[in-house]
Amino acid sequence: MEQQVTVAIIEDHPVVTEGVASWIRSDPEQRVLLVHTARDLAGLHGEARPSADVVILDLELSGELVTAQIPGLVASGYRVVAFSGHSDPTIVMDTLDNGAHAYVSKEEGSDHLVEAVLAAAADRPYVTRSQARAMLSDQRPGRPELSQQELQALLLWFQGMSKASVGRRMSISENTVRQYISRARAKYAATGRIAPSKDALLARAIEDGVIKPGEIMPYTSFARAAANHPSLGAPGQ
Amino acid sequence: MTGAEPTTEMSGRYQRAFTVAVVVLVAGWHLAGGGGQLLHNRADYSSFAFQGVLWLVMAVAIAVGAVRVLRGSLDWRLAWTVAIIALVASTASAAASPAGQMLAVSWAWGSAGWIGVLVLHRRRLAELAWFLAAEAAAILGVQAWDGLDRMDLAAFLALLAWSTGAQIAVAAAVKALDSAASRADTAARGEEAARERAATAEIIQAARHARWLALQESTVPLVAELAAGTADPGDPQLQVRCAVQAARLRRLMAEGDELPSSLVHELHASADVAELRGVAVEIETAGMLPQVPGPARRVITDAAIAILTAARSQARITLATVAAGIAVSFVADTGSVVLLPAAGQGVAFEHQQDGGMLWAEARWNNR
Repeated sequence: MEQQVTVAIIEDHPVVTEGVASWIRSDPEQRVLLVHTARDLAGLHGEARPSADVVILDLELSGELVTAQIPGLVASGYRVVAFSGHSDPTIVMDTLDNGAHAYVSKEEGSDHLVEAVLAAAADRPYVTRSQARAMLSDQRPGRPELSQQELQALLLWFQGMSKASVGRRMSISENTVRQYISRARAKYAATGRIAPSKDALLARAIEDGVIKPGEIMPYTSFARAAANHPSLGAPGQ
Repeated sequence: MTGAEPTTEMSGRYQRAFTVAVVVLVAGWHLAGGGGQLLHNRADYSSFAFQGVLWLVMAVAIAVGAVRVLRGSLDWRLAWTVAIIALVASTASAAASPAGQMLAVSWAWGSAGWIGVLVLHRRRLAELAWFLAAEAAAILGVQAWDGLDRMDLAAFLALLAWSTGAQIAVAAAVKALDSAASRADTAARGEEAARERAATAEIIQAARHARWLALQESTVPLVAELAAGTADPGDPQLQVRCAVQAARLRRLMAEGDELPSSLVHELHASADVAELRGVAVEIETAGMLPQVPGPARRVITDAAIAILTAARSQARITLATVAAGIAVSFVADTGSVVLLPAAGQGVAFEHQQDGGMLWAEARWNNR
C-alpha cells in the first residue's frame, strides 16, 4: 500500500466534520488518514501548525466566506480542497483562482471528496460537476480558451453522465474524456492569480502529458513553476 | 434619442419653438424698438451716455435670460432677479428723462416689459401681471413726481394699454400653445397605451384558449373516465397517465409569466409531481440562459414530464447556454427508453441509453 495521504478538516459544524470523517474511514483501501480537525483556521498558521498534505476547507466559517484565506494556506504548504454548500459559479471560480485544487459541493461530497483529496495530494486536476458548471458559466474576460472537445466533455460531465457514458457519446475512450476535462482544468490553473498550488498542478499536468507547455496561454506560468517551490513540488521530485 | 416616447419629444419640440419665438421677439424689440427710439431721441436726453448704459444693462439681462430660458435652467430666483434689474433700469431711465417729455422719449418701459415676458412667460400668468403692474406704477410715480396733467395721464394710459396689452397677450398665447401641445401629447400617448392593452389582452386570450384546448385533449377525458368509473385507479398505466396530467396541470399554472428564467420555473413545476413520488430531482443551470419562446418551452417541458414520469429514484436536469441557444439535458434512472415528444419549434432531441440510465438532451437554437 502506498503511503497514506494526511488530511485536516476545517469545518465549523461538528456533524459535517463527522460525516467527512466517516467517508474517509469507509474508503476500502484506507488511502486517506485524518490527522487534524478544527472549527477555524487559527491553528493552521505559525510554527506549531499540524502537518497535513491536504486541507478540506469549508468555505463558510462562522458565517464568513474564507476564500481570501486560501492563498495563505497554500503559501504554508497545504493543498486545499474546498467543500461548501455554496455552488454559485462565481464563488467556485474565485476559490479555484485563489489556489484551491478542487471544489466539491456538499451534494457531491460522498462521491467525490475522497477522490478529490487524493488528486490534490498528487497535484492532479480533479473536476467535480459544480466545477464544470462554473467553467461553462465563466464569462470573465481573462478566461482561458477551451477547445470544442474540451467544452463538449465538460458539458456532458456537468449534465450528469458518467465519464464512460461521455466517452460513448463522444466516441472516444473514457481516458480521453478525463484528459479533455483535466486539460480544461489545467488551462484554468495557468490563468488569473499566481499561486504555487496552481504551478504544481500545471507542472504535473505537463509531466503526465495532459497538456503541452505550448497549450498554456501565459507560458510564463510554467517557467515560474520551474523556479522551484520546495513546499509544493510534484511528489517524487 | 431612441424615440421611445416620440410624442413627448414632439411636444417638447413645439415648446422649444415657442421659447425661441419669444426670445427673438424680445431681443428684436430691444434692438429695433427700444434702441431705435433711444437713437431717434438722443438729443432730448439730459445724458445720452447714461441712457446708453441702461440700454446695455437691459441687453445683458436679455442675453442672460435668453440663454437660461433656452437651456431650461431658469429658476425663479434668477427670473425675478433679471426682472427686477429691468424694472430698476427702466425706472432710472424714466427718472433721468427730461420732465414733461418723459413719456414721449421713453424707450425703456417697453423693453423692461418684454424682459418680464422673456423670463416669466413659463411661470404663472399672475407673476407677469404683478411685474407689469409694478413697472407701470413706477413709471406713473416718476410722472407724478414731475407733475401729472390730464394729457400726461391720457398718454400714460395709451402706452399702458398698448405695450402691456401686447405683452400679456404674447405670454397668454405661449401658455395656450403649450397646453395644446401637451394635450395632443397626452392624447397620443393614451391612444398608444390603449392599443398596447388591446394587443396584450389578445395575446393573453389566445394563450388561455390554447391551454383550455390542451386540457380538453388530455386531462378532461381522463377525469371523465375516472368519474364514470370506467377507469380502474389501481391500474398502473392509469396511474402513469394521472401523474403525467397532474404534471401538465402544474406546468399550465406555471406558464404565462415571461421571466428570463421561465423555462427553469416551468421545469420546476413539471418536476413537482415526480418529487412527490419520491424521485430526487436536481435542476441546475450554467451560464446566462437565453429567453426561449413559449411553444419551444412546451416541447421541452413535455419531454421533462415524459422522462420524470418514468424516473424511478433520481433525475438531474441541467440547462446550459450553448453557441446558438440552450441545451436542456435529462439524466434519469428510467430503466428503459422513454418515448420523447416530437421535435419541433426549433427544438431537437438526442438521447442515449446506458444500462438503466437515460441521457436525453433537448437543444433549442435561436437561428
